[in-house]
Parts: sequence; C-alpha cells; structure tokens
Amino acid sequence: MEIIRNFPAAAILLCLFAGIVSSGLKPKAAKWLNHALIVVEMALNLCTLYYTAVTGEAFVYVMGKFPAPWGNEIRAGVLEALLALFVCGVMLLSLLGGEKELEEKVEENKLFLYYVLADHLLCSLLALIYTNDLFTAYVFVEINTISACGLIMIRQTGRTIEAAVRYMIMSLLGSGLLLMGLCMLYDLTGHLLMSNIQESVARLHASGMYGVPLTVTIGLMTVGLAIKSALFPFHTWVPDAYGYSTASSAAILSSLVSKGYIFLLIKIIYRVIGFEVFHDTKIVNVLFLFGLAGMIFGSLSAIKENNIRRMIAFSSVAQIGYIYMGIGMGTQAGMVAAIFHIFSHAAAKALLFVACMGITGASGGSVKFQDLTGAAYRNKLAGAAFTAGSLSMVGLPLFSGFISKLLFAQAAVQNQGKMLPALVVLAVSTILNAVYFMKTVIRIYTPEQSPYEGITWKNQKLLTVSCVLLTVLNLHLGCLSQSWENLIMKGLGMFA
Amino acid sequence: MGANFFVNYEEVVAMILFGIGFANLLLQNNLIKKIIGMNIMDAAIYLFLAEKGYIAGRAAPIITDGVQKMEAYINPIPSGLVLTGIVVSVSVTALMLSITIRLYARYHTLNLDEISALIKKEEA
Amino acid sequence: MIFTAILIPVLAGLILLLGPEWKNRKQLCGFTDAALLLSFLAVCVALGTTKENEAVTLFNLTTGLPIFFKIDGVSRFFAVLTGILWVPAGIYAFGYMEHEWKEKRYYGFYLLSYAVLTGLDFSGNLITFYLFYESMSLLTLPLVLHNGSKEAIMAGLKYLFFSLAGAYMVLFGLFLLNRFGNTLTFTAGGVLDAALLEGREGLLLAGAFLMILGFGVKAGMFPLHAWLPAAHPVAPAPASGVLSGMIAKCGVLGVIRTVFYLFGADFLRGTWVQQVWLVLSLTTVLLGSMMAYREKGLKKRLAYSTVSQVSYILFGLATLQWEGFTGAFLHTAAHALMKCGLFLVAGAIIFKTGKTKVEELSGIGRQMPVTMICYTLLSLSLIGIPPFGGFVSKWFLGRGGVNSGLPVFDILGPAVLLVSALLTAGYLLPISIRGFLGGEESVVRPEKKEPSFLMLAPIVLFTVLVTVLGICPDKVIGYITEIAKVLIKEGMTG
Repeated sequence: MEIIRNFPAAAILLCLFAGIVSSGLKPKAAKWLNHALIVVEMALNLCTLYYTAVTGEAFVYVMGKFPAPWGNEIRAGVLEALLALFVCGVMLLSLLGGEKELEEKVEENKLFLYYVLADHLLCSLLALIYTNDLFTAYVFVEINTISACGLIMIRQTGRTIEAAVRYMIMSLLGSGLLLMGLCMLYDLTGHLLMSNIQESVARLHASGMYGVPLTVTIGLMTVGLAIKSALFPFHTWVPDAYGYSTASSAAILSSLVSKGYIFLLIKIIYRVIGFEVFHDTKIVNVLFLFGLAGMIFGSLSAIKENNIRRMIAFSSVAQIGYIYMGIGMGTQAGMVAAIFHIFSHAAAKALLFVACMGITGASGGSVKFQDLTGAAYRNKLAGAAFTAGSLSMVGLPLFSGFISKLLFAQAAVQNQGKMLPALVVLAVSTILNAVYFMKTVIRIYTPEQSPYEGITWKNQKLLTVSCVLLTVLNLHLGCLSQSWENLIMKGLGMFA
Repeated sequence: MGANFFVNYEEVVAMILFGIGFANLLLQNNLIKKIIGMNIMDAAIYLFLAEKGYIAGRAAPIITDGVQKMEAYINPIPSGLVLTGIVVSVSVTALMLSITIRLYARYHTLNLDEISALIKKEEA
Repeated sequence: MIFTAILIPVLAGLILLLGPEWKNRKQLCGFTDAALLLSFLAVCVALGTTKENEAVTLFNLTTGLPIFFKIDGVSRFFAVLTGILWVPAGIYAFGYMEHEWKEKRYYGFYLLSYAVLTGLDFSGNLITFYLFYESMSLLTLPLVLHNGSKEAIMAGLKYLFFSLAGAYMVLFGLFLLNRFGNTLTFTAGGVLDAALLEGREGLLLAGAFLMILGFGVKAGMFPLHAWLPAAHPVAPAPASGVLSGMIAKCGVLGVIRTVFYLFGADFLRGTWVQQVWLVLSLTTVLLGSMMAYREKGLKKRLAYSTVSQVSYILFGLATLQWEGFTGAFLHTAAHALMKCGLFLVAGAIIFKTGKTKVEELSGIGRQMPVTMICYTLLSLSLIGIPPFGGFVSKWFLGRGGVNSGLPVFDILGPAVLLVSALLTAGYLLPISIRGFLGGEESVVRPEKKEPSFLMLAPIVLFTVLVTVLGICPDKVIGYITEIAKVLIKEGMTG
C-alpha cells in the first residue's frame, strides 16, 4: 500500500516523459501512447483515491531530498485524487470523440504534435491539482497555457491563430498578476510551500500586521486566476478560442483547463490563505458579484449567437459564473456546490462539444444555425447526446445540472445576505439557459429536406462511445450524486 | 507613508514598471509592443524578487574562502525563482513571437484589430 | 405495479419513436391502441392493488430526496381522469391523424406523455413531481410543434419558455421548502416546521406565492397565460384536447399539492397570498371569457375559454373552503371532459370541412348533426346549465365563494362567475344557433359530412359522461368530500 504514495508524482512525471517520447513518434503511435498513458493515469489516480479514502487523510510526498520548508512537495487528498481521475476520464473521452475530426482536419505531419500537447496539458493539470508549492503551481500554470494555446491553433486558420493570440494575451495578463501576487506573498511570509504560508498568514492576520498588502496579494492572485478561468468580464477570449478550435480542443479547454485554474484558486483559498482570512478580506463578495454578472451576461450573449460552437462557449462563461458564485457565497456549502459544479459542468460541456461536432458533421461542417435544421435526424446519436447535454445544462432532474442547482440553492438559502440575489439570478439564468439550449434542440429536431448526408453510428464508432459514456457520466452525477458529495466533503475536510 | 516610498524605492520602481508592462500588454494594438509590454511586466517582477532577496552587506550565495555561515550570504531562493521565471518568460515570448510571425505572414500587419477585420473580410 | 403502469407506455412510446417506419397504418394504430389500453389497465390495477399512502421508492437523488411514488385520494382522482381522457382522445387520433404527417412520432410522444402524466399523478414528493412536471413540458412540446409550421414553432417556443419560467418559480419554492419543511413528501395538512419557520413567515409566503404562480403557468393563470391561446390551438385537435383537458389540469394538481400538501391550507388562510391568488384567478376568469368572446378562430376561442375555465378551478381552491374545494375537483373533471370534447368537435369540423373560422360555420349543424348536437350539449354544460356536469361544479364553486367568509370576495367571486357564464354562453351558443339555423336555407338536402365512427365515438362518450356527471354526481361529491375533510378542518359542517 505504501507504494501508492509515489503514484501522484509518478503520474505527473509519466505524462512529461510520454510527451517527450511522443515528439519522436508517428501520429498513430503517438495517439496510442497518449490513450494508453491516460488509461494508466486513471489507474494511478484511482489507486490514490482509494488509498486516501481508506486512510482517511491526505499524504505529502517530498520531491527531492530537501524537507519542508525548503523543498518541493506534492500533496494528495481525496478531492485531488478524485479530480485528477475525473480529468483523465473526461480528457480521454474528449480526445476519442474528436479523433475523427482531428484526423480529417489537422495536417498529417502535425497530428503527432496534438498528442504531445495533450500529454503535456494533462501533466500540467495533474501538477496543478497535486502540487503543494506555489511557485511550482505558477510554472505549471504557464505550461498549461502554452499547451492549451497549441491545442487551439493546431488547425491553422486565420481564426484559430487570432484566437490563440487573444487567449495568450489574456492568459499572460492573468499569470503576470498571479506571479506578482505570489512573489508578494513570498515576500510577506518567506515561504513557498502552501502549508507553511498558511501558518504565516494566520499569524499575520491575527496580529493585524500588513493588512493592506495581504489583501492586495490575495486580490492579485484571485484576479489572475479569474482571468485565466474566464470569469466575466475577463471572458473576451472564450468564444473565439472555444468556437473555432477542434471539438476535442474546445471540450478539453472548457471542461478541464479552466477548471484546473479554478481548482488552484480553491486550493489557494483553503490551503494558502486560509478560508477565514479569505472570507474576511471581502474578496468573496466581489467574486460573488462577478459570478452573478457572468451568469446573466454569458447567457445573454449566448442567446444572441448564431454560431452553435460560440453559443456553447458563451454558455461556459455563464457556467463559470455559477462556480464563482458558489465560491463567493463564502460558506462551506457554497464551496461544495462550486466543486460539484466543476464536475457537473465538465461532464456536460464535454458532451455538448463532442455531440456538437457530430451535429455539424451531419450539416456539411457548418456551425451556422440555419444549416443545422433537422441535423438530429441525420445524426441521431449526436442529436440525442446534444439533447441530453442541454437538459443537463438546463437542469432537468436526473441530470447532473439539476443537482448543481439544488446544491447552489441550498447553499444560498443558508446564507442570509446573499440568498435573494443568488436565488433570483439562479432562476433567471436557468431560464436564459433554457432559451438558447432548447431553441437549438428544437432546431435540430425540426424536420427538413436537407442536402447533407446522414451519419450512422457505424461511421462514428469513437464518437458513439464518447457520447454514450459522457451521457452516462452526466446521469451518474445526476442520480447518484450522494457519493460524489461525500467525497467532496471529505476532500475539503482534508484541506485543512 | 511618504518616507516609505523613498526607503523602498526599488519596490516602487518595480511596481511602476509592472503597471507600465501590464498596461502595454493589455492596451497596445501592435503585437510586438504587446510582447515588449509582457517582458517589461516580467522584468518588473524579477526586479522585485531580486530586491527582496538582497540583504545589504552580504555576498552572493556562493561559498568562497570556506565561509559557511548562513549570515554571510543573501537568500538564494529568490534568485532561483528569478531564473525559473526567466525560463518561463523566454519560452512564452518565443511562442508569442512565433504566432506573431504567422499572423504577419498571413495578413502583413501587426495590428491586432486590423488582423481581426481582415479575418472577418476573408470569411465573408 | 406503479412502475409497470409507467413503464408500459414509456416502452411502447420508445418503440414507436426509435423503431423503423411502419408500413401498415392499421398496425401502427392497433399497436398504439393496445399500448394505451394496456397502460390504462395497468394504472387501474395499480390503483386497486397499492395500499393508500404506501411509498414505492425508485432511488435516492441525494440524501433525503428520494424519487418515489405513492397513491392517495387526489392521485386516484387524477389518474382515473387522465385515463378517461387519454384513451378516447388517442382513439380519435387514429381517425384524425390520417391527414397529418409523421403519425408515428405523434403516437410515440402521446404515449410518453401519458407515462409522465401517470408518474405526475402518483408522485409522492415534490422532487418527483418536479421531475415529471418538467418532463411533461418537454414531452408534450412535440405535440404542439407537430405540424412544423413557423407558427407552430413560435407557439412551441412560447409554451416552452413559459413552462420553464413557471417550473423555476416552483424550484424557488422547492429550495425554501427543503430548508424550512420537515420533508418534501406530500403530507395532508402541510410539512412546515414551526420551529424552523419562526420569523420567516414572510419569506415562506413569498415562496408559496411563487409556487402557485409557477404552477399557474400551466393552468393559464393571469399574468402568465399568454402562451396558452397560442400553443393549444396549433397542435393537432386531439392533442389540443388533452392539452386543454389534462395538461392544464396538471398545473391545478401542482397547486393542490403545493397548497394543501406542502404549505397547508391554514398557513395561507387570510394572508395576502390568498387575496392576491383570488384576485388573479377572478381576473383570469373574466379576461379569458372576454378574449374568447372577441376571438374569431374556433380552436383559439376554445383555448381562451380554457384560460377562463381553469381559473374557475383555481378560484375554488383559493377559497380554501370545502365547498370551493369540491367544486374545484368537480370542475376539473367536468371541464376536462367538456373541453376535450369541444376540441375534438373542432377537429372533426376541420377534418371534414377544413373550416377554422367561426363565421364560416353557418349551416354546419345540418351537415354534421350528431357532432353539433354533442357540441351544443357540451356548450350548455360549460355555461353551467343543468342537468350537466358543469352546473354541479359551478354550483359548488359559487357556494364556496359565498360561504368563504372572506370580505368582498364572497360577493365579488360569485358575481364574476355569473358574468363569465353569460359571456361563455355568448361565445359558444351562437355557433350552435348559426350552425343549425343559419346558412343557405335553399339547400334542401345538405351533404352529410359526419366524421367516421372512430372520431365520433369519443365525442359522444365525453358528452354522455358529462351528462352522467351532472345527473348523479353524489358518488364523486362524496369521494371529494372525504379528501376535503382531511385537508380542510375549518367550515366542515357535514
């Protein structure tokens, strides 16, 4: 059993090496290596999850020979392991779902690069999830950004390159703020390891010294990560980046990459700043307000959109708003809801992007709404999967989205001051969600004589597998949410 | 308050530089100027770190003449961080420059708004 | 057994939707028919074999939120009524849908809708109810959208958005109840926890009001009624029939569950919620009648009439008094039968003559005598003339208003009901009068255009049932009074 303690570090390193090895391989080999890698990663993370759940406490793995407070550490608890497992699973399904499109649209001699980037992206995500060191987190944030940028522009058109530039600019602003924040924090506390910083911060907070710099520091890091995870109003890069890249890239970016930053923020809140200190700075209220604004404006922009991919992208902005609203509640229940929504939204958004590819594939590759009429009849499976994803987004019971809403609302009801705005915006935003998702569902189910050919499941086996599994994941999150909630609670308990 | 600014003038300079870099990265339309802004921003952070790691009257943390006392040297960690940061910023700069070259080769301009307009025209 | 009752139509519906096209239309109809009858039979068996209030749990959504079914007096009433409406309207569709397209899809969604309605009737707690309520909105949508025209799609969207808006108002209440109630299980007399409630009455009242308003959307209550006159008429006639007849009543069921089984009648009695609710329902009664009076299209006129009539039911419930309650239930049954019958008549006229406007219908009675006689009888009942079902229900509603003990409303309520009855006569009877007496007198032998037996039988059946309900309502009244006794303690004299 003790050997499992090495698994998180092994998982991160394995991705790194797989990425390096892949750069010398043929596309097919790189693909198989990538898929095999993710399966192995899932096994490793599952073991870690099992181990932490059984022992009931988080463990620290010292990287290199220097002990705290000098060395570098990895720390794994239930929540980290669960999220890592989930990330691997969704990533595999997203890659499988979009594989055909990749092979068709990406130049043959560049295809292997896609898998190199995917390996590195996974590596950086796992590192973000597991690391216990702030500066390591920053380095992997940058690696994450660079690989994500590559994923956006793997298919080189004017649109994707422009999207990549815009993505890079916003990300660099975000990481600049994050770096500044953590340098100041290092200046204030003299540590880089999360647990050590937390002790110092608690002492500083108790003594009342450096109140303003501490607040500024927290603000810088929060805003930096908020920009990177596309919180309204820093979302301007989202529609292009998700809208014009390949389906797998969009699925991975929206459901995993932005969630990695949010998880880092949650870790910073709990493990670096300390929940109480963070709460006292009132930054929660700012996050709460921006979250609410994002929920409304993201949905409004989505309604106006005439491009299905960009519509789903704007919906992501709204959903990120939900998560920040949950964080901004400033209560344990709100945090549980936010973390559950990380899972729920990742499952639903990946499903939507993959299914959307099936739908547009049956409409001559067009993403314009007028060409999608009746697409669900031409590609029955993708139509059904898209409907399932939409219902989850809209919040029909039995789907994961409903549980998220329930948890958010329960959290809101317990919070005196924020109850009314949260509930009202939740309701309004849900109706807006329904407006554009149901509009799309009705359109793809409106029968029409179309020049485009239908696609049966035999021509898209991988997409079928991906859609079915993601739908099952959504239903699983929706019907058996109790075990997920318990794990999240347990994981949050281990954060302290 | 005012006196603090003069005592800690290195930090003040670092912060001003950070602001200049940040504003350039955010507001410039020219891609190259944006990249320069980013580099100014990063450099400001390194200046801040280096200044924080420096302790007046001590030597660089390289053991010379067999002096092993900790009090003789400055804090080496910020220097390490700066090095790591430089590596990151170099790679990001390289990536940004390469994308910029791609865009310039396609659209013969460095102005991001013009590029967007050209792309829209290209699609229509 | 409850599962079986829900599963049969679900499976049959899925077979129709996912299966290949049927070559033989007769077989398609036969299959649908068999599935409908079998489902209804299963519902009856379930009603017979399941013990009162026995909980049948499907699974737990999260802690303390199970998806489960149980059967009580209200669910019995609604389940039987649903079956009585759904099966004949389904049989009627075999005749009617001949001139429509995509029949298979229609029957598939028709069966699925029946399944969710059954689930809705048997729901044991609010979360289950909400699940089926949302599913119902989504699954009945294809019925509205059926002919695929631009008008139908716009109406469908309107229907969807109003429904969802209503559903989220309900959700709002659900969240509050989850916090301040002991449970979300429907319990006679309410589930509120007095200790938790302390000092939060205002909030809870707001929640109750939102829930009533939210469920009121389906029932077409002012101010969220605008979708109903758009959506009900564009559906194929049998679908309009069940939409107006039964789906609108599901909103009523929701209100009943909310008021009497979650908040409790005593909690709302005398509060602003009751006052506003009364005002809204009376406004809708009058408004619907007036709009119907001005409307030229027959089906649209009937839809406006639904707006008005369903609010009679809501008014009865809003009195929170046993006679009003009884009247509400009676009117639920009577209006379901009458309005479904009337829509089927309208469908028969469209099917045979293609006429949709009221003024085109002169002399129609001589062409379709049986149909128009049924129409006239159903209209008389809807106006509230003895000896039909509509009279009994309106009698109780009126008495409920008078004996409610509420200032102003004890006079105003019955007065509004009377005025609306006059308007009802005004918009329904001219069609009969002109149908039988108007038109070209010179045609001595008008061409007979009576619809086929499949279409005529359900119309006649509904007419007969309404008459029977009017002549001997004792059994039903007794049954409802039993329910009322448990729910409403105050004012029960005998």
